[in-house]
Amino acid sequence: MHSDLMKVRRDLKTVRDPYSGNEYVVVLPVIPDVAIIHAAKGSRSGEITTDATRNDRLLAMAAKKTIAVVEELVEPEAVLPGRQEVFVASVHIDAVVLAPGGAHPTACPGIYETDAAHIREYVAASRDEQGFSAYLEKYIFGPADHDRYLEAVNFRGRKQS
Amino acid sequence: MTKPTISNQPVQPPEVMIGAISRMLRDGEWVATGTLSPLPAAAALLAKMTHAPHLTTLIYGDPDFRLSEGFHELFALAQQGKIDVFFLSGVQIDKQGRINLSILGEYNRPSVRLPGGAGSSMLSALVRRVIIFTTSHNQRLFVPKVDFINATAADDAPWRRGGLSHVVTPLCTMAFDGTKKEIVLETLFAGVSLEEVVRNTGFDLGIGERRIPIMNPLTDEELAMLRGPVQERMRRIYPQFAASVWGS
Repeated sequence: MHSDLMKVRRDLKTVRDPYSGNEYVVVLPVIPDVAIIHAAKGSRSGEITTDATRNDRLLAMAAKKTIAVVEELVEPEAVLPGRQEVFVASVHIDAVVLAPGGAHPTACPGIYETDAAHIREYVAASRDEQGFSAYLEKYIFGPADHDRYLEAVNFRGRKQS
Repeated sequence: MTKPTISNQPVQPPEVMIGAISRMLRDGEWVATGTLSPLPAAAALLAKMTHAPHLTTLIYGDPDFRLSEGFHELFALAQQGKIDVFFLSGVQIDKQGRINLSILGEYNRPSVRLPGGAGSSMLSALVRRVIIFTTSHNQRLFVPKVDFINATAADDAPWRRGGLSHVVTPLCTMAFDGTKKEIVLETLFAGVSLEEVVRNTGFDLGIGERRIPIMNPLTDEELAMLRGPVQERMRRIYPQFAASVWGS
């Protein structure tokens, strides 16, 4: 209520809680048209397990449509959350895409780490238009598909099967 | 393992109701069933296996239907407008399509206190179509005016998304007339007389001069599907109901 955000965000409104009588700031819910989340395991029936320390399940529940990119496709009985994972029911998932390494250059916890060298390369490339165009050509537009992308970035985090 | 021989049995009343509800479901709809709803669950499965292959069935209690956190996810889906059809029942149902699940008699001195409305009030307003199903048909159930209103069929609330679509009983199907805001008789099940329905209903069913068609809601193919794969699924979801209809 006393944050300067209230001065710069004129769209924010306040209401009086009819139970306590206190005044609160209220914001509209965020309802994404499409959410794309990354998950460790998923099944063809659309259930997935995902990192418990993030908010991907909340995102999947809030969005109108959710696409889950998964590292591994397993049978429905095997979609069981690990110690740092949560289960997301298929009612919240509209499509499952199998793409091992799909979170690169960021991490898929427990499977591969953030590719810090690649992110440094990205940051350096994005300093000017020319460098960024070269980056896009080399890694995004150039590779014909996801496997070629993983080759281009020399991806080493693929789960051993 | 031997499968129960049920193919030669005559069609039973619950099977007729399942067939009738199944035909009310439209391909592509998201259909959710709540607790103690074996008839709608079987109907949703039958519809998906016959005329509505793109039905999404959310059958609470189905071991194959997993939620992430709990039943509140179904309420959230209803709030978001993702659930097209939900099923309710009542201890009293009146001409205006209102249902009572709370008490019989005066609220403060009830003759019977019932389990309560559960989510019926909000769900009836948030889903697109409500289908009421009953396991009996008499004047204690179909009353002129309910003792307590848990859910209404239609009203002028600005946020209301849908409302009552149909009522299915062991004797007949009724439709909700959105213009008159009243329940009217739609079809009779085979072997049921109009007189029997009228005598067991505590309000006028808007029959007038209409000829009420007879409904045979199960073709041979539908019956085979119901007694085959639907019955097998139902044994996992509602084993007691399945045993009562198709034997143990």
